[in-house]
Amino acid sequence: MKNINPRVLLAMFIIPLGMILAFVPANTTHPYKLSPVDLLEYVNSGMQYFTPDEVAHMVVSKDPSLVLIDIRAETEYEKYHLPGAINIPLTSLLDDQWKDYVNQDLRYNVFYSNGTVNANQAWMLTRQLGYENNYVLQGGLNYWVESIMNPDKPGSTSPNEEIAKYDFRKGAGQALGGGAMIESSAQTAPDLPKIAPRPKKKKVQGGC
Amino acid sequence: MGPLIVSDIITQNTNFFLAFLIGIGFGFVLESSGFSSSRKLAGMFYGYDTVVLKVFFTAAIVAMLGLLFMSLFNWIDLDMVYVNPTYLWSTIVGGIIMGAGFIIGGFCPGTSFCAAAIGKIDALFFIGGIFLGIFIFSEAYPLLEGFYKGSFQGTPTLPEALGLKDGVVVLGIIIVALAMFWVGEWAEKKFPRKEY
Repeated sequence: MKNINPRVLLAMFIIPLGMILAFVPANTTHPYKLSPVDLLEYVNSGMQYFTPDEVAHMVVSKDPSLVLIDIRAETEYEKYHLPGAINIPLTSLLDDQWKDYVNQDLRYNVFYSNGTVNANQAWMLTRQLGYENNYVLQGGLNYWVESIMNPDKPGSTSPNEEIAKYDFRKGAGQALGGGAMIESSAQTAPDLPKIAPRPKKKKVQGGC
Repeated sequence: MGPLIVSDIITQNTNFFLAFLIGIGFGFVLESSGFSSSRKLAGMFYGYDTVVLKVFFTAAIVAMLGLLFMSLFNWIDLDMVYVNPTYLWSTIVGGIIMGAGFIIGGFCPGTSFCAAAIGKIDALFFIGGIFLGIFIFSEAYPLLEGFYKGSFQGTPTLPEALGLKDGVVVLGIIIVALAMFWVGEWAEKKFPRKEY
């Protein structure tokens, strides 16, 4: 024991530790959670919302960074859905096959349901899991139909912005009219258009 | 609970302060284990001194074991830990340039500052070279940008690429590292440095 080689001494420590790690199951729980206070702050700030106008604009301009996610049941999705939306029913939101959709940092996922309750539930679940880039369509489908499909004509004395907004909504409503029945592909994930990956934000890097 | 910053347990400024303390500790250990000697560093390439290999691989193993055990105890969420993204070709070319600079200059960037701190003139020249290199790279950036940002591979890790559990890969790396240490010590005997 007197003149033990440091290499052997090191090996005596690290090999058993490595063996332990090789045989214990990996820890897959995610202790990361937003505190209730943080969550409340988020909800109050309304930062999780995309307004119908923003979404309509992105749909009309075919922005590839937008992914509309219909979280209603499949039957409802088949009856009517927003153009280009994919269907991930709330009940299967956390299934493995959707993991790459809800946990990614390239695109804006916008959840929508008829109202906002279910979409908000989906948003809150993914937020608690630490997933970024998930949002909620403000007002849900009901408000979408009300504001984009059947916009109220502003009075003739309205400010120019109101009239411009109305014109845009009317145009967008016509362009997206009736929510064309795109072939339902509820259970198989459709290919999304490719967009260039956004490199992650640079952090301070170490080195020797 | 961790990582500390992402989970808002410490602020960015506390983080900088901790990084400052760790940096001082790192420099102190580098200097006290002889890393400010360019002969020691260059020895890695000629085989007469493999301390660099041993120190950095031991550090990597300690960090790996530490992170995985902390993950096991739920002290850190490994999914939140930043993984450096891989840009394949720029990494390879950068590695070759760095290695060439390492053997020509006899320092790596960190140890050059250690050596400058104890007053080595050659280290001052080396640091001058670092800044010159940064300047040239920055000025030529528009030409190099396509290459620099090209061949983006995301953030692949060994366990993902091999389809193995993290722990198994760690055990494998430990065994490979110990084998390398053994080869290193054999090389030290085989190619002893001539005394000047």
